[in-house]
Amino acid sequence: MTDFSRRDFLRWLAAGLGWVAGSALLRSCRPQPTKPVTFPEMTPGGTATPAQASAPTERGPQPPDVAVARGGEPEDLVRRALQALGGIERFVRPGQDVIIKPNICVAYHRYEYAATTNPWLVAALVRLCRQAGARRVRVMDHPFGGTPEAAYAVSGIQEQVEAAGGEMEVMAPFKFVEVELSGARALKRCAIYDEVLKADVLINVPIAKHHSLARLTLGMKNLMGVLWDRPVLHRNLGQCLADLASHIRPALTVVDAIRILVANGPTGGDLADVRRVDTVIASQDIVAADSYAATLFGLQPDDLDYVRAGVARGLGQSDLRKLRIAIV
Amino acid sequence: MATLPRLKRGHRGSRPQRYWVATRRFVQYLALFGFLALFLRLPGGDGPAPILGVPMRLDPLAMAAHALAARTLLASSLVSLGVIVLTLLVGRAWCGWLCPLGTVLDLFSSRARRTVRVPESWRAVKHLLLEAIFVSSLCAALVLLVLDPISLLTRTLATSLWPALEQGITTAERALYRLPALRPLVSALDGLLRPLIGSSPAYFRGALVPVGLLGGLLALNAFAPRFWCRYLCPLGALLGLLSRVGLVRREVDERCTACDACVPLCPTGTIRPDKHYASDPAECTMCLECLSGCPQQAVVFRPHWRPARPQEYDPRRRAFLATLAATVLGVVLLRGERAIRRRLSGPIRPPGADEERILSRCLRCGACSRACPTGAIQPALGESGWEGVWTPVLVFRIGYCAYSCNACGQVCPVQAIPSLSLEEKREQVLGWADIDRERCLPWAEGIPCIVCEEMCPVPQKAVALERVELPGENGAPILLQRPHVVRKRCIGCGICEYQCPVSGPAAIRVYSRG
Repeated sequence: MTDFSRRDFLRWLAAGLGWVAGSALLRSCRPQPTKPVTFPEMTPGGTATPAQASAPTERGPQPPDVAVARGGEPEDLVRRALQALGGIERFVRPGQDVIIKPNICVAYHRYEYAATTNPWLVAALVRLCRQAGARRVRVMDHPFGGTPEAAYAVSGIQEQVEAAGGEMEVMAPFKFVEVELSGARALKRCAIYDEVLKADVLINVPIAKHHSLARLTLGMKNLMGVLWDRPVLHRNLGQCLADLASHIRPALTVVDAIRILVANGPTGGDLADVRRVDTVIASQDIVAADSYAATLFGLQPDDLDYVRAGVARGLGQSDLRKLRIAIV
Repeated sequence: MATLPRLKRGHRGSRPQRYWVATRRFVQYLALFGFLALFLRLPGGDGPAPILGVPMRLDPLAMAAHALAARTLLASSLVSLGVIVLTLLVGRAWCGWLCPLGTVLDLFSSRARRTVRVPESWRAVKHLLLEAIFVSSLCAALVLLVLDPISLLTRTLATSLWPALEQGITTAERALYRLPALRPLVSALDGLLRPLIGSSPAYFRGALVPVGLLGGLLALNAFAPRFWCRYLCPLGALLGLLSRVGLVRREVDERCTACDACVPLCPTGTIRPDKHYASDPAECTMCLECLSGCPQQAVVFRPHWRPARPQEYDPRRRAFLATLAATVLGVVLLRGERAIRRRLSGPIRPPGADEERILSRCLRCGACSRACPTGAIQPALGESGWEGVWTPVLVFRIGYCAYSCNACGQVCPVQAIPSLSLEEKREQVLGWADIDRERCLPWAEGIPCIVCEEMCPVPQKAVALERVELPGENGAPILLQRPHVVRKRCIGCGICEYQCPVSGPAAIRVYSRG
């Protein structure tokens, strides 16, 4: 065995690398779902898109600021809310690269515990985006408790998203890029996940739940998941979140209030703290969506520091009387 | 006259014998590959748990030492009987054919001519080391298993080499990703490599030590091929003793012409020209190089019923007794030191394992460190003295015990960390958190912070917040929430300590329950 030469070693190395590359190549050649998964509302022989595209014109040129769907199954709630907003086509155009950012903060519990976004709600958005012609729909979050792989699986989101034709992406540590936030008052520099910055469309899908410092975690707070280093934000959380939201600007915020966690958030774990509300709130205006969601907890929009900071920053409207709200 | 053509042909080895060596190499690579494949499945413990520990369980030395120290015989450790039976049949074939460390040593052996001759008497070192391992195991100390070959290789991969690979790749990716032109390439490359290296690479304390040890063993190859296997390996010593009563042994028959061709071929240097080219079954690894290299085909492997003769380099009674005394003395001294260290530092052990259990069972293989998704399981350096060195301790400033994870107990090959269901593991109290009010932001500086409460995974939160109103600088009151630990709920998972934004030691720290 003493005649194992350098050349032999290099040969083995090359063979090994070839094996790795080959297996990866084979894996990437796996058939990708190219067609959107069919769902009950699709009529055979035609797509649902034309009917949906005509929806906004039927409802007049100006869709509401906030659409609130109440009562029903998650998928149905999302469809109604988006229909009311003028259809997904307003936000997603054919060929676009879409990232959906749910709240998958921990790997501890199933969706019933309301610590993570409802899997069927996320999957419904994936389907809608694919129907609207999105080239790619990725779903991701950066959990603080447990690994992303575990959190994706435990929450149930992975299973539903993959069934709907979306991809779960684990945020790679090297893709967090240092960004200067122009006009920021508190969070002037931070490392943001690059794919989120590059995506054509970002859809923010928080679950509404309790949080001791922010009082509630909703749309603006959910954006923290795209940052690398988070505990530093806690010093001036409201302002930091407003700074972040003014830089990231999701095209659409869809608040999951199907189950809400009213205490011991954001991690949860006790079903006694969960309330079934069966509500989905959708808006282009992240501040407006959060403002309406606050009322589900008996709070006023101004009770939330980040809502006030967001209004001050000109990110949106928190005055519920001035917002046009469609309840469907 | 008649011998000449045979000699010529024999120089390259006659064909059937050549196949033996090729077969052996194939088996060696296959075994090394299997070892690595199982190692790569350790993270998260979601691999096929019962077979992840097989390499360690095949090791009769580690299993015997564990049984002596733990005073328990694990059914799963009976896998090692396979290696014992193999050795009783065909000698140290484990060393020549299967041992992953042996294969690594073969890969790194050089053909350079050696000037230093290692004295034959050094072969006794491994036997004395074996004796020391058994004696200390009887005293419930397993620290010498740091020198068990399987433990050593697993530990080096788990806490040094693989983390270095992961960190190296991640660092390179981060650097290359800064160049926008390279981004698609880096992303594609990452897609290929990520399955091998996990999403959250960890660092381990003292990572240079296992690398230094393995590097040292490879460097010793410069003095003699397989220096480790010849002179030092305690597992080799154990299998060597069994080989002396083993069935099939090497023999040289009357066809031998004393041509010396086999002598340099033998990786353990046990072929003795002065003894008619006989070898010591305790040293022969059944590699079959001599079989294929003999121009006369004078090397035969035959069954023998009588035990092989002892050798002049076997340890004498005096060395044996001295080792016995030294080991007992060493254990006594280590134990005293351990008691002091534990009082000083109070190490926190992985879920379900206490100090006694770890010290009397842990093989120091590092599988738990590799399986831990947060890098919280670190090798003990001084926390429980030299006796506890390289056993697992939780260091919460480096990682935390994830509420959703029970991987360490699943991958531990000998139940030093018990295998618990997730529900059972969540009830294990590892320690208790305590707030340092002189460092805590709301307590010491009046700055709002609730990270420990936010992170606490316990359903009813083991950190409670007390609302207070403090007079602010310009008259306006500051609303503040101050954390308190609710001890009866705290499980000591350490995520509060890990995430505490105070720099340096955290303002909330988990202490062992004592």
